[in-house]
Amino acid sequence: MSAIHSVEQLLKLIALICAAVSAAILVWYLVKRPPLGRTTKVLLLLGLGLLPVLVALSGNIAGYEYTLKRPFCGSCHVMGPYLRDAEDPSSNSLAAVHSRNHRFGEESCYNCHADYKMFGAITTKLNGMRHLYMYITEFANTGPDGEGGPPIHIYKPFSNNTCMQCHSTKLASWMEKHPDPDSIRSGDMRCIDCHDVVHPLALTRRKKAAAAEQKPAGEKTEQKAENKAEGSK
Amino acid sequence: MNKLLDVKKLVLLSTIVTLAALALMVVSILVPNPFLLVLAMSVGQGLGALSLALYLLAIVLDLQGVAPESVGERERSGA
Repeated sequence: MSAIHSVEQLLKLIALICAAVSAAILVWYLVKRPPLGRTTKVLLLLGLGLLPVLVALSGNIAGYEYTLKRPFCGSCHVMGPYLRDAEDPSSNSLAAVHSRNHRFGEESCYNCHADYKMFGAITTKLNGMRHLYMYITEFANTGPDGEGGPPIHIYKPFSNNTCMQCHSTKLASWMEKHPDPDSIRSGDMRCIDCHDVVHPLALTRRKKAAAAEQKPAGEKTEQKAENKAEGSK
Repeated sequence: MNKLLDVKKLVLLSTIVTLAALALMVVSILVPNPFLLVLAMSVGQGLGALSLALYLLAIVLDLQGVAPESVGERERSGA
């Protein structure tokens, strides 16, 4: 058995041990069918009550911790291009650069896409449920990278506040490079308007949008609509 | 006698439902993909709560059976 390196792994181990003990008690009861004496009742209370509650609690926390990680986000095939880019050591996209930062590490998707409000974790996970619904209903039978499915888009414009969780916008070196800091802090100017190399797919689509600029107006409108829908994700 | 049977059936049902709940939760721990996690956290835990409720109901029914000795002892004595 490999060593335990994180709380998540420890919780998983606790959950599995509790589940094994609980299952052993229950199988013993089903096989032996002992009379419901005091000892049997106490054992059943452990097997039916205490231990499964421990499994659920530790399993929930471990499961929640896992949902913050990049492999979880990438477990839906449509996220393949995003995952590959984020894990590419030679990529200079924002996603890859931040994923290489140890403060983000494996939780880079969550750290940039989570809501940072009082109930941010809850709203983020509710959005995750929406993702799962969309995945099952619209992307389940699409190609290896989601080809053939509808465009993937971010639910709401990417907020500067997310960037400012880490980038304080107060450092002198930052001020030198950003001549209009107030418009950035207020959100009038979006960080990703300039720092637009976010995900490789978004890059590809921007190239498409740039190509569309050369086309006649009618075709251009259609392309812009697609680009807007796909957003920066 | 009917009540005794009910208690035993409730415990039996609770045991089976708990095993199903445990299976769902363990699978989601071993293979943590989004669908299984959601299934474990909803259906799995729902089944777990149901089974615990069934067992508690069985205990209450058993306690209402008055006698201080266990159900098994009563059964063996043919009461």
